[in-house]
Amino acid sequence: MRKMLCVILAALLAVVPTVCMTRAQAESAGGFQPRLDPNTSCQISVIGSYSNFEALEAEFDRFNEFYPDVELSYTKPDDYNKLLGTVLEGNDAPNIFFSYQWMCGNENYQQVCDHMEDLSDPQLGLDLDCLRPGLLNREADGQLLMVPIFARNYGMLVNNDLFAKEGLQVPTTWEELLAVCEAFRGKGYASPMMGYSADASGCLMNTLVYPETVAALAGDSEALQKANEMDPSAGEYLRAGLESMMQLIGNGSINLEKCGEISDNYTQVILRFFEGDVPMMICTGDTVSGTGKRESQSEAFSKAPFTYSFAPIPLSEAGGYFIDSPSIQFSVNKTCDNLDMTNEFMRFLISRQELNRIASVKRLVTPTTDLSFDAVYAPFGQVPAERILSPEVIGITDSLATQIRNAAYQVGTGAITIEEAVSKYGSF
Amino acid sequence: MSRLKRSWIVLVNVGLMAAILVFVVLYSNRERTENYEHQVEHFVNTTVAMERVTGNYLEGEQGICDNWAQYINSQDLTLEEAAAYVRATHAQANTSAHLIDAETLEGFSTRPKLNSGDDYGVSYQRMGLIGDGAWISDLGTAINISRTYTNPINGEQSLAFCNRITVRDAETGEKRPAYLLRIVPTSKLAEKWVFPQAEYAHEEFSMIDAEGNYIIRGRSFKNSGFFEYYKSYNQPGVAAQQELFADILSGTGSFLMQDSRGRERIVAHTPITSTKGWVLLSTAPVSDLNANTVDWLLVGVVTAGLLLLLATDFLYMLSFNKKLRATAREAESANKAKTDFLSTMSHDIRTPMNAIIGLTTIAEKNPDDREAVKESLRKISLASNHLLTLINDILDISKVESGKLSLSPLTFSIVETVENLVNLSQPMIKEKNIHFNFRINRMEKEYLYADQLRLNQIYINILSNAIKYTEPGGQVSVDLREEESEKEGCVQLIYRVSDTGIGMTPEFMEKMFEPFSRQTDSRVNSIQGTGLGLAITKQMVELMNGTIECQSEPGKGTTFTITLDIPIAEKQLEEMRFDAVDALIADDDPILLDTAADTLESLGIRAERANSGREALEMIRRRHETGKDYDVVILDWKMPDMDGFETTRLIRAEVGAGIPILLISAYDWSDIEDQAKEAGASGFISKPLFRSRLYDKIHELFGTEAKSVEPEDNYADLAGLNILVAEDNDINWEIISAMLGMFGITSERAENGRICVEKMAEAREGSYELIFMDIQMPEMNGLDATRQIRRLENNKWASSIPIIAMTADAFSENIAECLAAGMNGHIAKPVDMKLVIKEIRRIKEEKRK
Repeated sequence: MRKMLCVILAALLAVVPTVCMTRAQAESAGGFQPRLDPNTSCQISVIGSYSNFEALEAEFDRFNEFYPDVELSYTKPDDYNKLLGTVLEGNDAPNIFFSYQWMCGNENYQQVCDHMEDLSDPQLGLDLDCLRPGLLNREADGQLLMVPIFARNYGMLVNNDLFAKEGLQVPTTWEELLAVCEAFRGKGYASPMMGYSADASGCLMNTLVYPETVAALAGDSEALQKANEMDPSAGEYLRAGLESMMQLIGNGSINLEKCGEISDNYTQVILRFFEGDVPMMICTGDTVSGTGKRESQSEAFSKAPFTYSFAPIPLSEAGGYFIDSPSIQFSVNKTCDNLDMTNEFMRFLISRQELNRIASVKRLVTPTTDLSFDAVYAPFGQVPAERILSPEVIGITDSLATQIRNAAYQVGTGAITIEEAVSKYGSF
Repeated sequence: MSRLKRSWIVLVNVGLMAAILVFVVLYSNRERTENYEHQVEHFVNTTVAMERVTGNYLEGEQGICDNWAQYINSQDLTLEEAAAYVRATHAQANTSAHLIDAETLEGFSTRPKLNSGDDYGVSYQRMGLIGDGAWISDLGTAINISRTYTNPINGEQSLAFCNRITVRDAETGEKRPAYLLRIVPTSKLAEKWVFPQAEYAHEEFSMIDAEGNYIIRGRSFKNSGFFEYYKSYNQPGVAAQQELFADILSGTGSFLMQDSRGRERIVAHTPITSTKGWVLLSTAPVSDLNANTVDWLLVGVVTAGLLLLLATDFLYMLSFNKKLRATAREAESANKAKTDFLSTMSHDIRTPMNAIIGLTTIAEKNPDDREAVKESLRKISLASNHLLTLINDILDISKVESGKLSLSPLTFSIVETVENLVNLSQPMIKEKNIHFNFRINRMEKEYLYADQLRLNQIYINILSNAIKYTEPGGQVSVDLREEESEKEGCVQLIYRVSDTGIGMTPEFMEKMFEPFSRQTDSRVNSIQGTGLGLAITKQMVELMNGTIECQSEPGKGTTFTITLDIPIAEKQLEEMRFDAVDALIADDDPILLDTAADTLESLGIRAERANSGREALEMIRRRHETGKDYDVVILDWKMPDMDGFETTRLIRAEVGAGIPILLISAYDWSDIEDQAKEAGASGFISKPLFRSRLYDKIHELFGTEAKSVEPEDNYADLAGLNILVAEDNDINWEIISAMLGMFGITSERAENGRICVEKMAEAREGSYELIFMDIQMPEMNGLDATRQIRRLENNKWASSIPIIAMTADAFSENIAECLAAGMNGHIAKPVDMKLVIKEIRRIKEEKRK
């Protein structure tokens, strides 16, 4: 027995120090290697338009394993888009801030863009190769002023258990979608498809029309140029998408009255879906990112949990599209305090490992080249390459997107007809 | 100890150890819990105290705002004038004020917009901060603080102390409602909240509004609001969350939660009473508060100590058990040995007893056949002697094993010891026709001081074994030599006995010193022995602090070597010298010749040497012719060409009887005595030739008595003695009576102790010379009888008469008991008449003195 005890103690002595290696030590062996003094003490602030950004804050914690004395914080300023420039000039100027492609070239945001550091500088050591090229928006002079943290896509949350319960298959073509909606309606579902419809931002109408319109413009550079130039003749490219939307609304697949009960395009969309009686909830990936955390906050879901996934909306016979565009992008304030440590944090964050991790926590699509989707996003993994479209690569401008969004919302809510929308393109 | 019991003891030990450790840990935990609770209480109290500080600060800031508002309300100022007034009155660089029209939510700032020069315009239309302003209380009634928001002028996260004011419309001149916002950056507020660092190193303050949104956020808190943060990392359920949030907003208290790193934090909360729904939160890692009062060093030391104790106990127990098992095995072995001993003893006693009884029966049946009776008696005598030897050995081994064997040292002559040794061994040597050789070397000290009896016993045992286990025609050699001893005042006697006997196997040598062990061999199956000799010998050698070694090989022989350091007696022989004595010594052994010549010369004798009888005769003849005969001639009996007899005879024939002739013999000369006397020898001397023995013999030849000789064969001094014998056994009485009668001693019998006492009480003085007293007798035993005799008052003779125990109780304690009872000596049965006679003479001698 004593011999055995000695062996156990010796084994423990050998094993414990190994186990006690810090996580940071373990990972630094094959991953991030700090370049600065680990004892550096400073503050780094990130500001953005997310009310909460727990996934990023988890990265703060991980970064603190290498630099324990670096204090990182995330804040959402009021009226973000308008005050960003002021904030960047003020005493509370952040180190890192959310940025959007439309800011560059917009004279109102020149002040903001002037603060952006060129992240393509090899000295910074960011692993840009791990990012999907279609998500990187370089300036004409080759500068990279922002890097994607998440990718956005458009689709619908599918209650798989409900489909199974009703003996239906999740649709992958336009015909199947119509048939499924009809079947659900026949089974008493007032609105087989639902979504947020209270205002244009994040509304279901845009989610339905935008992919079809982008697809229509994808292969036609002349049409794209007209659309970007707000040429009214480009309104025709919205027609197919608008007609599909109106067919779904018209045949009762989407009951706008029911949809109107959803008061915001994020939490309420999720909680409504978790009620368990909605077969398909139209939304963007940004909304899907909030599902994981809200499972426990939904009494209905807690009582009767079900499996769900996020799938492309099959608005054509060939199926749906995977619109691959940046959701959140980070820029570094090149005039901030502690720029070295800020770049060190960016070097830490812009890596395959960390971006996949933060996307997984946020339940958004990673911007890295390995599309290791969350299980919820599994249906998007089956979208063929030719149906994966990157608006930034295609050249969809923010103004064009705004035209589509507003036109779709107004047509969807019945404010205007499809014809009016087509003819009024460029004026939304 | 059985395995089960041992397990129980181990379990009890482990249990006790665990109980002690549990007690230490529980006690420490209780202390820690109490300390923790105390610290939590202290932590909450600190938070409450900080709330008061905060409240005072907020009231102060609100007071400034109130003062401005009162002034503005009291003056008929436009919004711009009011802004100018405030701008002029407040001096703090990092604060500002905004005056906002209540309807348009636009107005003026006391600080210009960043990088704009003199643009003081500010809009709250998109801020969602003021709303309808209903939340702003009347002037001076409450602290009206906004949530944390982004100052549209400089982009800083700030708080606003608010008041409703009334201003004059610049265009219409009418009164218009407006808001006065005194704006303080949250960073400034945070600077005022610093915990005493020495007490709490990682504590942080946060302030939340009624929705849980941070007014001030501690660095460890994340998310936009505390409630959201809590929900992100803690999932107690919706109802529990709501209950907790209600508690936080409604009162003072504390709770535990997980932070974003999964660490447990304590959060103390207390409402800021001067605000509407704001709550001050202070948080710290539980590990900071939960001061580890468990003294792990103490626990570790106690654990290690207990483990050590347990291990020591366990090892001791194992050792103890091992010893117990060994002792048990020894006891078992001893018990078995005892059984074997008794069995062997029984066998060994029965064997001669069988001979005695059987031969006695044969003799009884043939009383008329004198030869047969004589032969039977001879064999009975042999068997009896063997039986006696066996019993004596048993007594010895009993003494040895009981530790009661003690030495009785006295001055003795090693010469006598050797002579005795040779004499005792002669019969067996002759009987087996063994070639015997006894060499003495460097024996300078004749008188030594030791227990002669035991020394004899040792030497005899070894020598008799050698003779016993040597086949007829074999050889036994004895070497005795004296060496210098390392012990002061001692000589070292080395006694080596070599034989060409059957030898011993290594297996037997391992146990040869065990009682009743005998080497068995087809050639010596008939050898008689007790099997106790070597055991006794070894014990005695060790008792005398000596060593015994043995080399042996089966079939080739054995050599025993005994080494003893023996003290030299103080008294040595007086100077032994002769004056002007010429001697001739003849021996064919040149070593012996030289040794003997040296010995003679050491006595002052001029010794001439002859290597043979013929040469001796020639030398004697030549001396005789010159008229100078040798004073003494010493001849070896056995010489090759002419033995001692022949040489003596020729000497007598040629030179007459005038020259004393001594014959040297290694053997008992009784057999050759007649032949030697017939040849003309004057005397005999035994090998080895000791100096003293030579001196004595030569003195004898010269007619001088060297020493007194015991009158061993003259018993006239005993005739007429009358002895009282207390003996209950008729046969024993008959034997002792008859044997005493053989020496002319008369005896009377007392059948038991009581009669003996009576006889003594009634006897005339001098009726008995002494009493032989048996011990175990009916009515009154010998001991009691002795005591009563010793108590015979008024009869001095009777009470002082010598009493000698004559008993079969032969153990030392029996002897001691006899002496203690008042007896004067002890003779063991069966009685040795020599001893009896010796004892009688001793008594007589003491009386004479």
